[in-house]
Formats: sequence, C-alpha cells, structure tokens
Amino acid sequence: MSKRGVLLAVSMMLMLICWSAAWAADPYVVGFSAALTGPGSGTYAPVKDAFDVYFNEVNSKGGINGHPVKIIFEDNAAQPSKAASDAKKFATQDKVILMMNASLSSTFAPMVQVAEKSNIPILFAAAVCPAEVYPPKPDRNEFCSTAFAAKYDSRFAIKFIKEEAKGPVKLSLVAMNIPVSRGEIDFAAELASKTEGFTVLGKEAIPPPTPDFTPFASKIKDSGANWVYAWAPWETEVKTLEALRKLGWTGKFLAWAHIQAEEDLERLKDDNFYVFGTNAFFADDSAMHKKIKEAALKAKTIYPYQKLTEGWIAAMVLDQILKRTAWPATPEKVRDAMNELKVELAGLRGGPLVWTKENHFRTVNYYRVYKWDSASKRIKNVKDWTAIEVK
Amino acid sequence: MQLVVNVIVLASLYCLICCGYVLVYRASRVLNLAHGEIMTLGGYFLLSITLVTTGNPFVSLGLAVCASLLVGLVVYFALMKFMAGESVFAAVLVTVALGILLRGLITLIWTSQSWHPLENLGLTNTGHKLLGNAVISTFGIAAVLSAIALYVALFVCLKFTRWGLRMRAVGENPLLASQRGIDIHKYYSLSWGLAAFSGGLAGIIMACDSGLEPNMYVIGLMAFPVVLVGGLDSLGGVIPGSLVVALAQVAAISISPQASEVAPFIVLLCMLLIRPWGLFGTKEEWERV
Repeated sequence: MSKRGVLLAVSMMLMLICWSAAWAADPYVVGFSAALTGPGSGTYAPVKDAFDVYFNEVNSKGGINGHPVKIIFEDNAAQPSKAASDAKKFATQDKVILMMNASLSSTFAPMVQVAEKSNIPILFAAAVCPAEVYPPKPDRNEFCSTAFAAKYDSRFAIKFIKEEAKGPVKLSLVAMNIPVSRGEIDFAAELASKTEGFTVLGKEAIPPPTPDFTPFASKIKDSGANWVYAWAPWETEVKTLEALRKLGWTGKFLAWAHIQAEEDLERLKDDNFYVFGTNAFFADDSAMHKKIKEAALKAKTIYPYQKLTEGWIAAMVLDQILKRTAWPATPEKVRDAMNELKVELAGLRGGPLVWTKENHFRTVNYYRVYKWDSASKRIKNVKDWTAIEVK
Repeated sequence: MQLVVNVIVLASLYCLICCGYVLVYRASRVLNLAHGEIMTLGGYFLLSITLVTTGNPFVSLGLAVCASLLVGLVVYFALMKFMAGESVFAAVLVTVALGILLRGLITLIWTSQSWHPLENLGLTNTGHKLLGNAVISTFGIAAVLSAIALYVALFVCLKFTRWGLRMRAVGENPLLASQRGIDIHKYYSLSWGLAAFSGGLAGIIMACDSGLEPNMYVIGLMAFPVVLVGGLDSLGGVIPGSLVVALAQVAAISISPQASEVAPFIVLLCMLLIRPWGLFGTKEEWERV
C-alpha cells in the first residue's frame, strides 16, 4: 500500500471513530415548559427538582441506550404566550423528540398547536390531564401521566362520600374560578344529585386572588352543608377549609390531594379533612419513598422530598419511553413507544401506568384516601387503593 | 351580622394596603405599581425572621414591619430618588420594573411553595364569637385594630406634628417647600417608608391568616379600585372607598362567587361615570391624571 493509501485509511478510521464517538454522545433531547414561577407554580415547579435528581443519576450511569438525556426546561410562568414561544423554540431550535408541559391548562392549547404542526408528541406531567388523552380516541400526540384528571376524580370522590357519610349528605362544592375546576365541580354536582341523591346546596367558584376566604366560607356554612367537596388548586381547597373551621363549621371536607396535601394534613391535624388522590403518601414509607427521600436529601433539592412524587413518576415514565426508543431517536419513534407503554409504579401508585393506542391516559386509575388521625397522631390511610377502569 | 363582620375585616385589609398607594401618590404623584410586591415582601420578612429566631412572636412581628419600612426607604434612596425631575410616567414604569424584580427575587429566595409563618410563631388563628353568632378570626381582629391604629396615628401625625405639616407641604408644592428649606428627599423617603410599612403590615396579617405564596401580590393590585373610589390623593377617602368596595364584593358573593371578582371594578366604573376624582379626591388631581 502506498503512503498515500495508508494516510487515507488512517484518516478514514479516525473520522469513523470521531463520528461514532460524537454519535454515541448525542443526547435524547426533551423540551419541558413548566410554570416554575407564577400562578400554580407551587404545584408545578417541584417537577424540575425531581427531573434534575432523577436524570442526573441516569446520566451518571451512562444514560439510556448509551445516550445521555438532555431536558431543556423553560419557565412559562403559567402564561399561554410564553408556553407558545417555548414550544416553537423546542420544535425549531432545539429539535426535541418530545415536549412536556407542567402548567395551568390555559397553556395547553398553544403548545398542542405547535406539537400538532411539527408532529412532536407532548406529555402532560403534573398538569391536569386534557380530555384529548382519554379513550377511546385520544389525540395521537397527547399523553398524560398526571395524578389528577377531570371527570374520573369526581366519580370516585362522590362514591367515597356516599360510603363514608352516615346519614343524608348535604353537599357544597368548591372550585377555583378557572374553566377546568368549574367544569369538574359542575360535573360532580350533577353526579351527586342525579346518581347518588345528595342534596347539592351550592357551588362556590372562588376567584384565584382572594384576600379573605371567610365570606365564601360563611356562605357554605350558612347553607347548612355537612360535606364539602373541593377540586381546585391546593391553596383554594385548604384556605376554604381553614376559613370554615375558623367560623366553627364541623362538617367533613374532601379535597383532591395535590403535592402539598401531606404537609398540610400534618399541619392542620384535622380529623374531618379527607384528601384523595392517585399518589401514595410518604407516610407509607415504601421502598420507593425511601429512595426518593434519600436522593432528594443528597441532592439538596429546592423543594421538600414530599413534593417530588408527581415529578418522579413523570421521570420514570420518560425513562421508560426513552428506553423503548431506539437510536437515532425521532418524534415518530417516541410516539410509537408511548402508544404501547407500561410503567411499574410500585410504592407510588396503586398499579402500573399503561398506555395503549386507544388510551393515552391510563387503562386503570387507582385512588386512595388519607386523613389525619388524632388517636395515632399520624396520617392514616382511610380507603385503600380502589381501581377504576378507564374505558 | 356575619356579613357586617366580613365587610369590616375585608375593608380593614384594603385600608392597610391602599394607605401605601395614597401616601406615595400624595407625596410624589407616583402610582406605585410595585406596592403589591412590597406588601408580599412583608409576609416573607416575617417568615424569615420566624425561621431564624424562636423568641417572642410579637418581637418577630415588630421586626418584620420594621424591615418593611426599611424596604420603603431603600427603594426610595436606591431608585426613586433618581427619578426626581423626570416625568411621572417614567417613575411609574420604574415601579413596574421594580415589581417584576421583586417577584423574581421572592421566588428565587423563598421558592414558589406556600408557607405558614404562624406555625413558627407559635400562635393560633382561631375564631371568636361576636354578637348575633358572628365569628371573627384572631387575625381578622388584628386587621381591624391595625387599620384603626394606623389611620388614627397618621391623622394625628399629619395634622398636629411638624413633620406631618412638612410632609403635606412637600406633597402640595415641592418647589415652594424646598425653597423654604424643607429637605424634600427626607419627606419623600418617609412617605415611601410609611407606604411600605402599611403594605407590609397587610402582607404580614394575610400571611398569618391564610398563608404565604408569591402570587399574593395580585391582591395588592386588586385593591387598587379602592384608591380610585376613595380619591387618589385622599387618605381619608380610603376608608369609605374600602367599605364600599368590600361591601360590593361580599354582597356579590351571595349572588355568585364569580361576581365578587368583578364587583370592585363595577363600583370603580360607576364612580368614574359619576365622580371621576373619587369620593374625597380633588378635581385638579383627576385632571392631572
């Protein structure tokens, strides 16, 4: 072989090595638009903490399928215009294979619009599940791993009140004055009165910035309610309860268990305050809880470990999606992986999260109810996992 | 009776918040659009103090209001002083920027989560029975008493003390006051300090009553119709303005909770149609605006 031939062969080999090295180092790029500040950020921002802890560990162990995972976080401050620009950036500049959203429902439409246009799947994590993920005909690009979901939650809640109530139920309903919360409360009111025969006394859609919750609580108390059901952002739920208690109302209060619920159950120590949800509380002290707690304390997360469950679940879901996405990753491959997914969530939820082509929400939803128990001075599991099939 | 109590408590909170808007406007003709954030900061000061000290809760509360007063002074000397002589519009824009900055700082320092400083203070916020089975919370009483004490103190000081007279003089004609040897920056800073003090006090009471979160600043903006209803340059007008707006808001709840959100603005629109300068405002000020 001539000198020139040897040089050419060596150059080719070097090029191949460099190219394959660069290829191996290419990351899975995911764009995450979340309300890290602004309204509702207390619920959404901890997701970033969970993702940072989870994927730092994944990347330190060599990534997924030999590729690191790069999550590009953008703060949309719960503003639709910012969510839209985030989505455009993800699609055109960052070339993401998947978009994620953890923010108010008002940010969904602009992101979905970009996702549809650029044919990139979008995963809602920690944000309320949009109706478009429900079976039997979900939108091809929309998926959801969040615990709370309109229509399904109230079905369980109203049934639980029926079981728990000893006598006739006089029900008042509490929402925040935002479309998704009001819609769910309207649905719950209809369900309660028509299906279960409850006396529905009123629906309070409380405005988001409220200096004093007492006037709203006075109206509920004066109506003679013995049960209150709230499906709203956590601040609205818990502040209404606290205002009711200050007025001397002694009835029972059922609220959706957002990520702040566990801390507030311990703070309020109220035996008649029930919270229901699909995520297990750290009070269970499962192996998975211990793992999250240890990782959060080691990483010195901004938010306390009790608030990381929702984000951790979303991270586990993303981990599983990417494991099933062969390299080179494309939005199409990601969507295919999402259309046939099963994520084991032992210790965090009542069962696995399963997605199919016809169901981008979950095939079975598992609910649990917790409350404070003064006798044992700890949070008690009032009703264990109840499976509701999602068709 | 409960309706009356609810109106009085809400009006007291509005009185505490809106006092700051009027004090700054009267002194410097600037609408402080960062007042909501300064109010929120008061609550966070209390939280921080309670996290580092475990002593007397009243000392913690006192330190927190003093820190709020200090913020007002710092804002004036570090920022607003340099806007003297500039257009009022530019000064208002500076307060908008200040608000954005404070919001960012609050989230960076204290995160987006809710806090309950009352727990750290070792106090409880229970209900107290009044006549006619009405109930008022401990911090509802605190709001009413604080508002009364603040307005009585301001009335006495502005009317009967030398610095009160000078403060009014600076507000009415800064050029003439300056020519008479009054240090206008001293009195401008005092009005900013007092405004932050009253706003901070409102923030502290709300933080103790129902918890603390970064978005509490919106309540400061929601209270703004009260100022326009009472009269932008009238401190005394804040009291009837607060009562009218609070009454409209509480009454609207009995019709529809959603209506309570727009009630202050309906009152404001009516006022703008009938008497645009507010209940006790001056016509000249309205024309200036």
